[in-house]
Amino acid sequence: MEKRIIPTGLSAILIGGLLLTACSSQTGVSSSTVSSTGETGSVVETGNSAGAEDADPFGKYEPSVKMTFARTVDNDLNDNILPKTPGETIDKNRWLDLYSKDLGIDISYAWSVRGGLNDDAYTQKLNVTIASGDLPDVLIVNRTQLKQLAESDMIVDMTDYYDQYASKLTKEVYNSEGPGILESATFDGRLMAVPYADASVESTQYLWLRKDWLDKLNLEPPKTMQDLRKIASAFITLDPDGNGKNDTYAMAITKNLYNGAMGVEGFFAGYHSYPNMWVKKDDGTLAWGSVLPETKDALRALSEMYQAGEIDPEFGIKDGAKMAELVAAGKLGIDFGEQWNPMYPLISNYQNDPTADWVGYPIVSADDKLPKVPQKFRTQWYYAVRKDYANPEAVVKLINLHLEKNWGENNEFDHYYMPAENEGAGVWKFSPVTPAPTNKNLEAFNEIQKARKLGDMSILKGEPAIIQKNLEAFYAGDTTQWGWEKIYGPDGVFNALNGYIENGQVMREEFVGAPTPTMVDKQSSLRTMELEMFVRIIMGDVPVDEFDKFVDNWNALGGAQMTKEVNEWYQSVKK
Amino acid sequence: MKHRRKRELPLHLMILPSMILLLCFSYLPMGGIIIAFQKFIPAKGLFGKQKWIGFDNFIYLFQLPNFVSVLWNTLFIAIMKIILGLLIPIVVAILINEVKNSALKRSIQTAIYLPHFLSWVVLGGIFIDILAPGDGLINQIIKAFGGQPIFFLGDNKWFPLTLIVTESWKSFGYGTIVYLAAITGIDLSLYEAAQVDGANRWNQIWHITLPGMRMVIVLLMVLSLGNVLNAGFDQVFNLYSPPVYASGDIIDTFVYRIGMLEAQFGVATAVGLFKSVISLTLISVSYWFAYKFADYQLF
Repeated sequence: MEKRIIPTGLSAILIGGLLLTACSSQTGVSSSTVSSTGETGSVVETGNSAGAEDADPFGKYEPSVKMTFARTVDNDLNDNILPKTPGETIDKNRWLDLYSKDLGIDISYAWSVRGGLNDDAYTQKLNVTIASGDLPDVLIVNRTQLKQLAESDMIVDMTDYYDQYASKLTKEVYNSEGPGILESATFDGRLMAVPYADASVESTQYLWLRKDWLDKLNLEPPKTMQDLRKIASAFITLDPDGNGKNDTYAMAITKNLYNGAMGVEGFFAGYHSYPNMWVKKDDGTLAWGSVLPETKDALRALSEMYQAGEIDPEFGIKDGAKMAELVAAGKLGIDFGEQWNPMYPLISNYQNDPTADWVGYPIVSADDKLPKVPQKFRTQWYYAVRKDYANPEAVVKLINLHLEKNWGENNEFDHYYMPAENEGAGVWKFSPVTPAPTNKNLEAFNEIQKARKLGDMSILKGEPAIIQKNLEAFYAGDTTQWGWEKIYGPDGVFNALNGYIENGQVMREEFVGAPTPTMVDKQSSLRTMELEMFVRIIMGDVPVDEFDKFVDNWNALGGAQMTKEVNEWYQSVKK
Repeated sequence: MKHRRKRELPLHLMILPSMILLLCFSYLPMGGIIIAFQKFIPAKGLFGKQKWIGFDNFIYLFQLPNFVSVLWNTLFIAIMKIILGLLIPIVVAILINEVKNSALKRSIQTAIYLPHFLSWVVLGGIFIDILAPGDGLINQIIKAFGGQPIFFLGDNKWFPLTLIVTESWKSFGYGTIVYLAAITGIDLSLYEAAQVDGANRWNQIWHITLPGMRMVIVLLMVLSLGNVLNAGFDQVFNLYSPPVYASGDIIDTFVYRIGMLEAQFGVATAVGLFKSVISLTLISVSYWFAYKFADYQLF
């Protein structure tokens, strides 16, 4: 009898040990978060001592609840934010402490990957996670994945939780673009996940140019695409960096083509082509912008520029981080991108070379018609909660607190968003949920402009006041605040946005519904095909006329069907 | 009989771990083949209620404009690699065998064997730098001689060649070792007899060394035929980019993109199954050839 007990006991210990090690990788992180809160708990104000009452948007859990996420660690976070926030890590930082202390939600990460939400690494790991069925409590998924999860009944219906727990500010933000944001996560009338609300206005494209190069070569900012092409040619032939070597390129683009920085969408718009989004044609129907005839003109122009050496010949194998190295090295002078480009990657150029003066201009067109400025529907990601998770409302509370701390009445923007003490690094990225109000940036700029006109900065409050503080720090010699001046300064890029709005140039993406069946199946291979073909056309690997063949293929491989479904959706919402 | 079984038992035990691994990682996953015939929604799981769609995934696959080129790339790259992977080591092994200084002989062996141990993740990074058109080593040399820089990893004319040459460079040392071992096994008295008969070095290589290596050559050839559709995922994956999909995309990278990135598990499985069926046929045929013409049998 004794003899039998020993082996059984042994194996029990072994199995137990295995289970322990298997679990510890997940619990280790959260336990450290708990202990850290214990230490700092007394320092902090407010808190909602009322406890977890029913439907209190900021109610604290007693005892605290655990919540796991999966997350990405992008270049900005890894190379910029973490070095500027000593003592904080992905697993232990001000945001996680705040959630734990104020809401009693202890967040840990089941896994994390380097790169952005759009990068292959995250997509791959997420798909494997979904396929394995072993989901973290909250998953950040795109619309297609959301639909699959909803169809297979793996996530919680969030309709009631959102209605009951969303704070006033949250509801305001989530309705600020009309019903679109919530609509896009609604299947059969049920809200299947809380969207990561993001401002469509943020996808507005600007033309960033090295003004110091323009001045040096006696060039004016471009009024037309032809001007821009001349500038590009001057940037490679007239030695703008004055080192006596023919070693500059003109325009920054990457192998992914469509990017918020170093992208091509602003360039394409100059030819009245709006790729990578659903646009309304003259006949009132919707079409995928990439396959419309104007796109061919833009591709032809890009391939000419490539041929002329105005684009890095290696762009086809370079991602954003690689191309940013060229920007930092002062080899490029033209960048199409969004308003935040001075924060990354342009500032790296300025820090290496204080004469580098990037200025944001409105995009230009190739004919006498003003270009439309595409604004893509930006809410692309969703916080989906695992079916058996006990406190689905907790994710709504996280969103409430995130918005409240940054843009609420008693916000602590300067501690939780882009604190001056951390050189303006975007610490908001430490939070696993990061929704943002939609028009806040432009509003802030306009308030600062107003104050500047009045000559009275004391009227500024909240975010604009902090931005103004950053601007003043820059004028006082703090070079790390350079980006703020480029965006919110008197000649800041938001002037261009105001111009776009005044001239009626803004063109919103027309399709904001849940993905159609064909989209779920085919869209991502169609995108791959599109990207491959466009890069090859630009590189001159195939003639521009291959574009027509691409359009035929695109239609045959599901594009036509997808367009039909999108138009059916469009008809149904128009009524 | 009983005696023999007892004697062979340790041998069977030795092979057991590999059999278990084979079962776990090659045979059990075959259950997943069903995915190829489903409209597979990963969230529902392998045993969930998936929709059966017959051969739709295969039909979709053959409609894809790049599928034919993927297939062709795979065959071309793999076959070129196999041919070079056979020829170069044989030549090098014979050359090394002729080296009389044994210290030199051994250092050459070690040096050419070394790259075999480096992973393509490491080598990929190195080659991307060496082959860069702007400031890469190779192109600096080309430019120094007045040539035009070549974009080895971005030009569809050069990319497959680059793949084949770098792979051969990486692996020829390993093959050489095997052939050298075969040469060592040749009876020295044959050479002595040949010398007596007045054969020069060339005659000796042609009539003694090469025939002596015949069995090993056939063995490696048959084994490598199993790779006719394996063009080397880790190499291609670490070196390719969208501009060279046209010439460098192979079945395995294609499956990776469709399956892992686009989450079209059904189509990806269909490609994998397609590849397996072709491979099985090719291996069976080549095995039969080896048996017929070289009297070689594995089993």
